[in-house]
Amino acid sequence: MSWRSIPMKFPGTCIVCKKKVEVNEVALWAKGLGIKHQACAQVKELKCVVCEGPAGCPHCEFADDCDLNRVSQLCICKKCNDDKEAFSLYQKAVSKRFPMLQSN
Amino acid sequence: MMWSEKYRPKNILEMIGNEEAKESFVNWLGKWIKGTKPLLLIGPPGIGKTTISLLGAKQFGYDMIGLNASDVRSKQRIQEILGPVLGSAGIFGKPMIFVDEVDGIHGRSDYGGVEALVEILKEPTVPIVLAANSDTSDKMKAIKKVTTTIKFRPLPPRLLRFYLEEILRREGTSLKIGNIIKLVIDSRGDMRSMLNSVQALVTGFEPQIDRSFETTNVEDSINAFFKAKSPDEARAILYSLRIDPREKINAFYSSVITSPISKDLLKEMLDVISEADVLYGKIVRNQEWRLLRYLDSILLRLYKEGVPIRYSQFNLPWAMLNRLRWDGRAIKELATSLAKRMHVSRSTFSTFYLPYLLYCIKNKTLEIDLADSYNEIVQKEMASIK
Repeated sequence: MSWRSIPMKFPGTCIVCKKKVEVNEVALWAKGLGIKHQACAQVKELKCVVCEGPAGCPHCEFADDCDLNRVSQLCICKKCNDDKEAFSLYQKAVSKRFPMLQSN
Repeated sequence: MMWSEKYRPKNILEMIGNEEAKESFVNWLGKWIKGTKPLLLIGPPGIGKTTISLLGAKQFGYDMIGLNASDVRSKQRIQEILGPVLGSAGIFGKPMIFVDEVDGIHGRSDYGGVEALVEILKEPTVPIVLAANSDTSDKMKAIKKVTTTIKFRPLPPRLLRFYLEEILRREGTSLKIGNIIKLVIDSRGDMRSMLNSVQALVTGFEPQIDRSFETTNVEDSINAFFKAKSPDEARAILYSLRIDPREKINAFYSSVITSPISKDLLKEMLDVISEADVLYGKIVRNQEWRLLRYLDSILLRLYKEGVPIRYSQFNLPWAMLNRLRWDGRAIKELATSLAKRMHVSRSTFSTFYLPYLLYCIKNKTLEIDLADSYNEIVQKEMASIK
């Protein structure tokens, strides 16, 4: 499968975001698969809940087994995971970001 | 104690993953007033739908009444159970209803269960939380119309590994990195199944992580169960034997009944098997599949260190089975031949005539000219007459 970057001759629907791709817009096309926006083609990555940076999905040991579109969207990056206090850091980060989850 | 219970989070912050979904749940429950739409939690098994309901109820001071799909199977049953709670909530304190596996209500045997449930969901007087693994069936569409849906997603494998390492740290134990990765991948985002597997691995027998330790090989598993060196090892083997529960009970029965053990031990073991059989009968009759989780803990009582029980497929000793097969065939042929002469059916001949015929031949009051092939079986049958 090879995606080719081409200007659209006809309007279409992006297979990732399901939004319209207009005529003359440059998008990616693959035979038999359809079209997608260039932005939609960028590698999707989960976010680290602790440092709020990218979770490093392309280099993750589970990259082949993690369906990024299906899973819960907050993960933990390798650096935060390797911290000795990782679990308490995780809990602190979650309670800071989602204050409603703190029990009374 | 199962680790999935031991490490069940004590508060919502201890849960990992699905933060947005959890926040929506807390928001819903915190702002709940009479008439607020019930909540439907959708998500794969083992990601915390039941846990968050329990913890949410605890956090907001509700008394959670937990029900299963089997409790809400018929209209009458729903009204019996929920009627008193919905009608006079004050008597029951501050109730919150949690119905698990609502997607399990289907088929002809439901007798209006879904319809009755939907009627209740339309006018809730207490918070109602429903949980389901999938929302695609037609009956779920009816339920979805009258509820607010929150979707729980599978947990990313890295997050599962992170949690697993924390559990291992708390247990003061460790696993090889390859084993951890295999466990995480095999769990497919199911936290409960991952914890059960890791417990089986850590407390059970030597890790055989290169192949899945869920097995369907009955013979190996039954033999390994009775050869296990500790109850923990036996438990790990029993829990990993994933076959039909009826086959499991039968396999234990045929193995126990054909093994050379003392009468007292046999009696004790048959009692255990009988208890398992009664439970399974009840599960099938009442469709109470949630009780299935107790079957293995009953069968685990069969474990005794050093008993000489080995797997047997058949529930009779081999010698007797052999006799039934070969002698049975010979008797059938003899009966067919003689029944014709007596002008009766083969069944009548075998039941009523043959015993007298054998007596007469034995007492030498009757001489009958039989083919040589039948003489052997007649001699054998006469020898067994007392």
